[in-house]
Amino acid sequence: MTDQWTVVVGIKQVPDEDDVTIDPDTGTLNRSGADSILNRPDRNALEAALEIKDQVDANVIAVTMGPPQATPVLEEAIAMGCDDAVLVTDRAFAGSDTWPTSLVLASAADYLDADVVLCGEETTDSSTGQVPPGIAAHNGWAQLTYAEELEPKPDEDQIVAKRDVEGGHEYVAADLPVVIAFAYGENEPRPAGLHRKIYAETEFEPEQVTAEELPIDTDRVGLAASPTQVGGMETVDPVEREQERLESPAELLETLAEEGVV
Amino acid sequence: MPDIDIDDHSDVWVFIEEHAGEVAPVSWELLSEAKGLAEELDEDLVALAIGEDLDDVAEEAVERGADKVLVADDPVFEPYRADPYGEQFRYLVEEREPDVVLIGGTHTGRDFAGRVAVPAYAGLTADCTELGIDEDGHLEARRPAFGGNVLATIKCERHRPQMATIRPGVFATADPDPDHEGEIEEVEVIVEEADTISEVVERNVGDTADITDADRVVAAGRGVEGNVEPVAELAEALDAELAASRAAVDEGWIDGARQVGQTGKNVRPDLYVAVGISGAIQHIEGMNDSDIVVAINNDPNAPIFEHADYGIVGDLFEICPELVEQLEDVDDPAEVLA
Ligand SMILES: Cc1cc2nc3c(=O)[nH]c(=O)nc-3n(C[C@H](O)[C@H](O)[C@H](O)COP(=O)(O)OP(=O)(O)OC[C@H]3O[C@@H](n4cnc5c(N)ncnc54)[C@H](O)[C@@H]3O)c2cc1C
Ligand SMILES: Cc1cc2nc3c(=O)[nH]c(=O)nc-3n(C[C@H](O)[C@H](O)[C@H](O)COP(=O)(O)OP(=O)(O)OC[C@H]3O[C@@H](n4cnc5c(N)ncnc54)[C@H](O)[C@@H]3O)c2cc1C
Repeated sequence: MTDQWTVVVGIKQVPDEDDVTIDPDTGTLNRSGADSILNRPDRNALEAALEIKDQVDANVIAVTMGPPQATPVLEEAIAMGCDDAVLVTDRAFAGSDTWPTSLVLASAADYLDADVVLCGEETTDSSTGQVPPGIAAHNGWAQLTYAEELEPKPDEDQIVAKRDVEGGHEYVAADLPVVIAFAYGENEPRPAGLHRKIYAETEFEPEQVTAEELPIDTDRVGLAASPTQVGGMETVDPVEREQERLESPAELLETLAEEGVV
Repeated sequence: MPDIDIDDHSDVWVFIEEHAGEVAPVSWELLSEAKGLAEELDEDLVALAIGEDLDDVAEEAVERGADKVLVADDPVFEPYRADPYGEQFRYLVEEREPDVVLIGGTHTGRDFAGRVAVPAYAGLTADCTELGIDEDGHLEARRPAFGGNVLATIKCERHRPQMATIRPGVFATADPDPDHEGEIEEVEVIVEEADTISEVVERNVGDTADITDADRVVAAGRGVEGNVEPVAELAEALDAELAASRAAVDEGWIDGARQVGQTGKNVRPDLYVAVGISGAIQHIEGMNDSDIVVAINNDPNAPIFEHADYGIVGDLFEICPELVEQLEDVDDPAEVLA
């Protein structure tokens, strides 16, 4: 391990969940109306990575696995202050569930010599939260999910995380390399710097890495290598509610009494 | 994908999540629900307990319907850590080849499931809210996606085990039956402390309230701005459990055990009162099964009103105390509401 830490941040482009609809005839996702955005929880992961950089000597590299159209999220990461950004892209990755997705990202972490992998808590599209522990499992690394605060310990090659657990918190020290899923909303993501933004949009080109370069056996990724399949999707109809406006607390209690809510 | 014979895999496992002897309520919810699945598949229902000093936990699992309890009892498993639990689970799955494995969708459950599904090459469906068995005997798991706008059906037809995490509060817990019989088996522990790569330095756990069973729930949101008291008093006056939006939890005002929603719990009370909560889809998802929903919010355009039966537009700091006062005016509030 060199003195400088390499911190790899996994970020994903997702459709804006407010715009997603399902085609009632085909039961498939209607993405055309939806804007593609950076997964909101990944901003917290980027901020956490940049805070590590503020504290110890670190090189922060944002990584996304996705098609070339996902490049704008890498530009956002560069604008926020990441040193570099990598697009991991290959037709063979299409249709991957969390098992192969985390394999690809684990290989990318290896390829980039990561000491720390930072991820968001979960995505706002398929929101499994399974990718970070999956990356850790593929590489046999330690994992810290639902992390709310991080304390890098470069002398011990460790990171201590405050984790949110049922009913409270715990502090866990993990040996590097480690995969961290940072809790959504638990830090204040910094705005993009103006110069970084201009650089990101005009000069910066992400490195593109394919399956062959990682290297990864294409039989182990994609739809065919995914143990789960999405069998169908339905739009969730909102539950019908009375939507009645009441004027006063007294009226509310009267109404509840009439309803017999016990 | 490695070739496996699906028919070699049998039994429905439920992971019993336990911390210092206390079992996460969702584990018992899953054991109750899995009984039906095991019967449908004509397989055994197996409870898997990993931890330390598990005798009582194992016995309770039998009373709650397990045909068999696998117990991995060792100090290395207390408190929970992903790496030793993951190693132990991988070994058990390889050795015993379960068909289905259900895990509570708590932070611990999702941390554990994500870790173990990889070495087990399991299909893992996240955060399910419905489970069934299809005509070919595959697990059919349904889960909200895209923030709750969509319900997706996920299957794992070519591989085993079929794993799923399930959101707490989705299934009801059946009462234990002291006469139910089952076998308790201590399994070999294959993990040693020296092999672990993480250490729990400190653990502070207090409130592990179970809001999922409550008949009445009063939930506070960011609108309380740090002052939970009026809402807590309303909860008390209504004999309700106090709950919270994620914003109120993240601010540190209310404990995470009381969070309702996509990354919290599902509740299904007779009465749900949302106070100072805007009504984001991720919140609505967790309270949609409530019988009657009341919203108190000072923004007439807050989306929560579309998801409420009765709404009052106004300042919660005025409305809550008034409600409390009027409820206290009567000797027995339950009588007014009865
Ligand atoms: C409706 C629907 C339901 C699905 N349900 C399941 C399911 O139950 N089980 C399953 O195995 N698969 C499922 N999938 C497949 C899953 O969407 C993909 O594997 C997906 O690419 C990764 O899962 P996620 O978005 O849930 O990631 P999460 O695990 O929620 O992501 C957590 C973090 O990991 C990082 N990360 C995730 N993806 C990337 C990426 N591509 N590049 C860089 N960093 C990343 C980010 O930091 C992110 O915040 C589903 C797909 C759909 C469309
Ligand atoms: C991956 C992911 C998972 C999530 N999971 C969850 C989840 O499980 N549960 C959850 O709740 N959210 C969840 N969220 C967050 C969700 O999107 C919302 O941000 C959150 O629910 C907002 O909480 P809130 O309504 O309390 O706060 P806000 O949206 O800030 O609303 C506060 C409300 O209080 C009202 N108000 C302010 N002052 C007063 C007053 N004096 N009197 C009356 N009303 C007042 C305001 O009008 C406003 O409507 C998740 C988000 C993501 C991205």
